Amino acid sequence: MSRTLGLVLVTFALLAAVAAPVLAPHATDAHFGGLLNAPPTVVHFADASGGWHAPFIYRWRLVSQLEQRYEEDLSTRVRLAWFSGGHVVQSSDEGAAPLLLLGADSYGRDVFTRLLFGARTSLGLAVTAALGALLIGATLGGLAGFAGGVFDDVLMRAADFVMVLPAIYVALALRAVLPLVLTASEVFGLLASIFAIVGAPFVARGVRAIVRSERRLDYAVAAEALGASDARLLFRHLLPSARGFMAVQMTLLIPAFIVAEATLSYVGLGFPDPIASWGTMLHDASSNIRVFADFPWLLSPAAAMFLVVLGVNLVLQNRRSEDVRHIGVRHTQRL
Amino acid sequence: MFAKNKNLHANPKLGRSTAHAFDRAVSWPLGQIVTRQTRRLAASVAFVVAGVLAGAGCRSNTPPKSATAAASKSGVPRGGDLIASVRSEPRSFNRHAASDSTTELISNLTQGKLVHVNQATQAVEPSLAESWTSEDAGRRVTMHLRRDVVFSDGHPFTADDVLFSFEVANDEKTQSILADAVRTGGKPLQVAATDPHTVVITSAAPFAPGVRVLEILPILPRHRLEAAFKAGTFAKAWGLDTPMSDIVGLGPFVLSQYAAGQRVVLTRNPKYFAKAPDGGALPYLDRLTIEILPDQSAELLRLQSGQLDMMTSEISPESYASLKRSADGGKITLLDLGVSRNAEGLFFNLKPGAFGADPRAPWLQRDELRQAINMAVDRKVFVDTVFFGAGVPVYGPETPANKVWYWEGLPHTPYDPAAARQLLASIGLTSGADGVLKDARNQPARFTLVTQKGRPSMERSVAVIRDELKKIGLTVDVVALDSRAVIQAFLTAKYDAIYFNADKTDLDPGTNQDFWFSSGLAHMWNLEEKTPATDWERRIDELMTKQIASPDLAERRQLYNEVQKIFYDHQPMIYFAAPRIFVAHATRVTNLTPAEYRPQLLWRPDTVAVIR
Repeated sequence: MSRTLGLVLVTFALLAAVAAPVLAPHATDAHFGGLLNAPPTVVHFADASGGWHAPFIYRWRLVSQLEQRYEEDLSTRVRLAWFSGGHVVQSSDEGAAPLLLLGADSYGRDVFTRLLFGARTSLGLAVTAALGALLIGATLGGLAGFAGGVFDDVLMRAADFVMVLPAIYVALALRAVLPLVLTASEVFGLLASIFAIVGAPFVARGVRAIVRSERRLDYAVAAEALGASDARLLFRHLLPSARGFMAVQMTLLIPAFIVAEATLSYVGLGFPDPIASWGTMLHDASSNIRVFADFPWLLSPAAAMFLVVLGVNLVLQNRRSEDVRHIGVRHTQRL
Repeated sequence: MFAKNKNLHANPKLGRSTAHAFDRAVSWPLGQIVTRQTRRLAASVAFVVAGVLAGAGCRSNTPPKSATAAASKSGVPRGGDLIASVRSEPRSFNRHAASDSTTELISNLTQGKLVHVNQATQAVEPSLAESWTSEDAGRRVTMHLRRDVVFSDGHPFTADDVLFSFEVANDEKTQSILADAVRTGGKPLQVAATDPHTVVITSAAPFAPGVRVLEILPILPRHRLEAAFKAGTFAKAWGLDTPMSDIVGLGPFVLSQYAAGQRVVLTRNPKYFAKAPDGGALPYLDRLTIEILPDQSAELLRLQSGQLDMMTSEISPESYASLKRSADGGKITLLDLGVSRNAEGLFFNLKPGAFGADPRAPWLQRDELRQAINMAVDRKVFVDTVFFGAGVPVYGPETPANKVWYWEGLPHTPYDPAAARQLLASIGLTSGADGVLKDARNQPARFTLVTQKGRPSMERSVAVIRDELKKIGLTVDVVALDSRAVIQAFLTAKYDAIYFNADKTDLDPGTNQDFWFSSGLAHMWNLEEKTPATDWERRIDELMTKQIASPDLAERRQLYNEVQKIFYDHQPMIYFAAPRIFVAHATRVTNLTPAEYRPQLLWRPDTVAVIR
């Protein structure tokens, strides 16, 4: 059950990210000038007099500009336009009554649109960085565990060094020496590289320990005796035994990198505005003391992060249990 | 102009290069001890009335009868503690060594000045000098010092302390950041004492703004600081590690405790010279605690929860509604002080040759680019987005808050993106099929706009500018840096364009010469020019020289209008809007005289009181 829920959450997030251009009613940088911090548009089925209609919305009327208070203008129903303009749903009057399913941010941009496109950025970065960390960590850890000796010592001390580095300051220092203006793709590459390097030692240490212990087992000794090359022994026989560990690491790294992107964006080191990412959205929300009391929809990226992290954990937690059982069976067969 | 610009003056190189002299015969026979009503009456005929606007939205609090047990004869309650907040640590307790806002605030709380500028009315009021007379077209001013004044350690205050304070400011070894404030035409003011209570200040040239510039100079105790001065270590004196008892002054409060990163505690100076209208002692407060809270959200939460009595800076527009709810609930008082006298602005790097072989050089420093930007930004959108409607469009260097020097005749640039495109086309920036402007190399026309990180108004402003210019095809890369990095880019002229604040110390443009003169240290777009780089800058130099020397206000205004027109035509700094200033304080704080300029509620700390 929990795995199913996890799969639903993760699949939902991935589908939303992939289908963002179709699901999102607007462009990420589209501004609605009179709707700064406007609340989510409510989809109605019945009007004020109780009459039933096809789904419709009311436009927001500004009550106080300085206080950013709005109320629904009940005088006119605005119908929804389905499957038009390349979008699943929009308002039929986008100029006066845009469909803002999760409200607007402080610049009057559609939070729902930015949340969907932000998922592409944030999830893409987290998955890319986690895979990079696994690749680097598994390779180095496997080599260290297999080779042993000085090579092992040097690699593990290097891993220790990276692990004790304060990641945020490393990112700050790296950003300081780079050009002031970076494109979104350059920022993506930079952050993915930093995260992969910072995350790799955690993978490397675990993989190294597994490879060292597995190498002494009979099946590895047998493969070596039968003439398997070092590379075959390492990549065909030893590293696969670390699959379960690496799955666990994915469980930890993906959420950590989602949060890390948010953190770096929060301190201004992430993606440049108006690129949407969950981190930049939270950064924008953080400057307003009224977020919790008056504009909770601005925290929707935090909710999305929670659900994705929960989903990944539920899926991989189940996977871990299977791996443990699988490893147990394998070892029994080998013995 | 920027003596109170906290960011610019993080670097001591940036100071004021004002030329000061005194031309107006001013006398205050009633001395310091005048009633509030008298001061207000005098202020009403003073030449600056910005405070009228500021006062329009203000209310004063009347203490309830229950509080009069500890009240003065005039009904103002005495005693009690007040807790205010600042955003940053003081960098020193020596005003000559640091110009950050907290150092300046603490200096104002603990040190006395010869004169005092009433921030609500802009009138110059007596302080340590109880009266003064002017001769020789304002070049020579005789100041009569208040008698029977003592420092907080009991040592008598005399003209010798005034001489010492000027010596310190003018000494090259001290490298005082206030040095420029006591110079005229690059030469120090000559100060002499004719008796222990009279000083004569002589200037080389006439200076229309008059004695108001002396408000910046704290009068320091020679008996405490002369040793350090003679040893050449004055700049290090009164650092943050100095025992509090060693720091004495003539201000209403004395330092009692400094906890780094937490707070500065000041207690009442029982030897403070000023008296209340009823003849009683000032200040009213027993203790003033300044909490150091780097984040405005923390300040607001503490204010709303009653842990803070006031902030020393204005509240941001996005926080208004939250505070209004608290005000409606009777927890705090929320004040609208009117339009700010200062507006943030955008300036390009106009240093000749700054872009060298950069292929953008042919268009990046052209007037037409700046004029096009001036037309392409919809100021209504700017005000609505940045200040949530709580602001006014600004088209020149003065905002409507400056009632004397703001010129209604300055053209109000209409929002006209089509005309902006035409102007850009005239300098070779033409639009491609994608709507993006391209230069002669067919490369997108783009520039980097630097601003300060962590300042919502600036970050929101550059976002609006970027989006507005995108509509005409100009690409703007926004970079937010910490204030030191912005200043470094500014000082080294390694930037395309900067959006920054340029706060005015005083409303009189004659006191802002470092901004106006091409040789000025705060001539933002091209610092310290040896000779004017352009004809229009040369013309501004000439006009400002006349403007500063003229004793006739009408003539000064006419000359300054001409300066503003030249400024408008060439747009070296592009202004878009000025915000309204909102401040809030706990309802128990009373007897305030709010003013638009920081610290809005604490510029007259000796008269602030709390209901206990």
